Amino acid sequence: MLSTLDTDLRRTALSADEVLAIRRRRRWSMLAVVAALTVMVVWSIDVTVIEDTDWERMGSVASVLESAGRFMGVDWALFPDLVKPAIETFMIACLGTLLGVIICIPAAWFGAMNITPFKPLTYPLARLMMTLSRSIHEIVWALFFVAVVGLGAMAGIFALAVRSVGFIAKMSAEAIEDINPGPVEAIRAVGGNGFQVLRYAILPQVLPQILGVIVFEWEINIRRSAILGLVGAGGLGLVFFRQMNTFNFPGVTTVIIAILGIILVGEVVSYFARKAVI
Amino acid sequence: MKAANPVEADRAALPRDLHWQRYKYPESLYSYGAWIVVLSFLAFSVEYLSIPLERIPAMFERMAAVIASRYYPPDIEYVMDRDYLDYVVQTIQMAYLGALFGLLLSVPLGWFGSFNMTPSRRFVYPVARLFTMGFRAVHEMIWAILFVSILGFGMLPGVLALTFFCAGFAGKLFAEEIEAINMGPVEAMRAAGANLFQTMVFGVFPQVRVAFTGIGIYTWDVAFRAATVVGFVGAGGMGWYLKRAVLQIETERVAAIILSIVILVLISEVLSAFARDRVMRMK
Amino acid sequence: MPILEVRDLCARYTRSGPEILKDISFDVEADDFFAIIGPSGAGKSTLIRCINRLVAARSGSITFDGRSVTSLPARELRSLRRDIGMIFQEFNLIDRMSVMDNVLSGRLGYTGNLRTLFRAFPRTDVQRALEMLHRVGLEEHVDKRADELSGGQRQRVGIARALMQGPKLLLLDEPTSALDPKISREVMGLIKNMAQEFAVPCLCNIHDVNLAMEFCNKMIGLQDGVKMFDGPTAEMDQAKLDEIYAMEVL
Repeated sequence: MLSTLDTDLRRTALSADEVLAIRRRRRWSMLAVVAALTVMVVWSIDVTVIEDTDWERMGSVASVLESAGRFMGVDWALFPDLVKPAIETFMIACLGTLLGVIICIPAAWFGAMNITPFKPLTYPLARLMMTLSRSIHEIVWALFFVAVVGLGAMAGIFALAVRSVGFIAKMSAEAIEDINPGPVEAIRAVGGNGFQVLRYAILPQVLPQILGVIVFEWEINIRRSAILGLVGAGGLGLVFFRQMNTFNFPGVTTVIIAILGIILVGEVVSYFARKAVI
Repeated sequence: MKAANPVEADRAALPRDLHWQRYKYPESLYSYGAWIVVLSFLAFSVEYLSIPLERIPAMFERMAAVIASRYYPPDIEYVMDRDYLDYVVQTIQMAYLGALFGLLLSVPLGWFGSFNMTPSRRFVYPVARLFTMGFRAVHEMIWAILFVSILGFGMLPGVLALTFFCAGFAGKLFAEEIEAINMGPVEAMRAAGANLFQTMVFGVFPQVRVAFTGIGIYTWDVAFRAATVVGFVGAGGMGWYLKRAVLQIETERVAAIILSIVILVLISEVLSAFARDRVMRMK
Repeated sequence: MPILEVRDLCARYTRSGPEILKDISFDVEADDFFAIIGPSGAGKSTLIRCINRLVAARSGSITFDGRSVTSLPARELRSLRRDIGMIFQEFNLIDRMSVMDNVLSGRLGYTGNLRTLFRAFPRTDVQRALEMLHRVGLEEHVDKRADELSGGQRQRVGIARALMQGPKLLLLDEPTSALDPKISREVMGLIKNMAQEFAVPCLCNIHDVNLAMEFCNKMIGLQDGVKMFDGPTAEMDQAKLDEIYAMEVL
């Protein structure tokens, strides 16, 4: 009994040599990939780091450490001046996210394959909107809106809104595409119209997911809104660059601490918001 | 068999006070209260930031006018220039290095920062979490500015900024991925007497390999988007051109540069989506 | 006059796909509890969805209450649908809404968009919903979320929702196949009682022949989209059943 089993195995299974040969081949192809990556790395390091860096100016390790050391310390005197910009930054993030969510409603509706009103036109349109919004950096958006609506918080809000649409709409559209079709059928069967299907069968199913995405994006928007001041769109970023330009390095550290502070507030709020949603 | 009106007939059997309200005293109060607080905060924000709401409708018109008069037509020749294309290649290299170093850094961060596999929950876990959060919390532009101020202008600060950014970005995703694994193989490895490293290599790594590759490609994609603008603060790459054109108010060049960024990002997104799709299919 | 007349009904899902239903004809009278039996894949679900046009028929005619179902424009289709209640195999409740909201959703066909948005139903609807919930024995669960209930309770909510419409016909799509045998019998009994009380005829799509024999007065048997039997339940016998379910045995 045992011996027949043994011969059977021998007929079908690979020999140890064959197994090792396959592994060896696999190892070679892995090695080729690694080699290609290494060449790329070396070339990139050569171009970006070795050739491009002004080593003279940077000086020795000690002087680099020294210039990093300038950031040690906190400029306590700056704190009172940070309260207003910090609140502004936080508000820009909130309003930007809200506006983004509003723009998102048509984008998600058009971009969900199963409910898009006119597939050949609205679906690609929504997808294009999402990709454009996600592929352009918030700094670039802010530049654009500063040029259009002028300096100030308004440009920041628009920039954040437009930048957040892509992600929120994409996730929402995916959530809508994944719904259970049963309730949709049920609402249609009681004689509900399109809006009623949306309100009763689709929205309740996707709402928790979408709210989670919105809270997530809002957290990211707090981070983003802190740098919009770079291009004149208000908030903490402006103070940050002022400190940088006047070489008040402890002040820079102070602003970063303030930014971390609002982000922490955001994390705490989002923790409770998430709990409330689920 | 059929009653004339069964509902009427049965009403006697029903409890007297048929009554229902959507509003329930304490719970509804909390949720409506929360709504009011949020909405009034938003209204207060509009007031505080002195947003001119009445100007918004006119703004769209202005937006179209500005684009048509100043940003159109984009100065395409400017971005087809050899020097500019060199900068594009450098941007790609910068993103590549930043993503690579960031990923190398994020693997240990992800391992140590995953609650189920961390070597020490009491000490290593919070430290790794703190680092991941710190890397993430500070925006890549701020990293870039800090590194520029320490190391001077050039691509090195850009690479370092992207490294920090990617380490935070991928570290968090890696940790989440490791926390979601099936612990069975890990237990089997431990039962076989494997040490911590062996458990990682044989019990955890095979489970997260595909997801890690996907995250890695995605990280590269995100790094490239960031790399296009870190030059804005002097950290190398195309962003420098953008900054110069903006300062000189060469709006048609700005339009061309933005257009080139969008196109490059779209290409990288398509490539990364394709690569991720391939990787997922290998699963 | 029969409440529902189906003549030569044919249906397929895609233009070039296989024929799901082939020339089906039958009548449902005002006091019928009408069963459609047959093996899975015979087209029972498609047939029942053709009646309220959740699936469009390809040819043939369906006349419900003197109205032709197959040719109605969208608005009239909706007002037709609110006269036809439907109970589903998987209950198709809105899981995250309360039992009350689920039952009230049966009135959506009578409700405007603004009221829908704020879920503000008229007082009479709320009254009616409470009565329905009392009748299906769920009055204690009014404010629970639908996904907190057991299978049998969820189907009771489904029954209450369908009867909220004040339907002239009830469509039952395998109402018990997601339930265990004991609960199945209870649910069927409840549906039958309610249907008799409200004088609503039922068209019931059912896999379990024993339940069909027990609760229904007429039945048709489908096999692979073709009608194999049509008549009172009493005339059904083992030989005919074997013929209808022949495919399934193989």
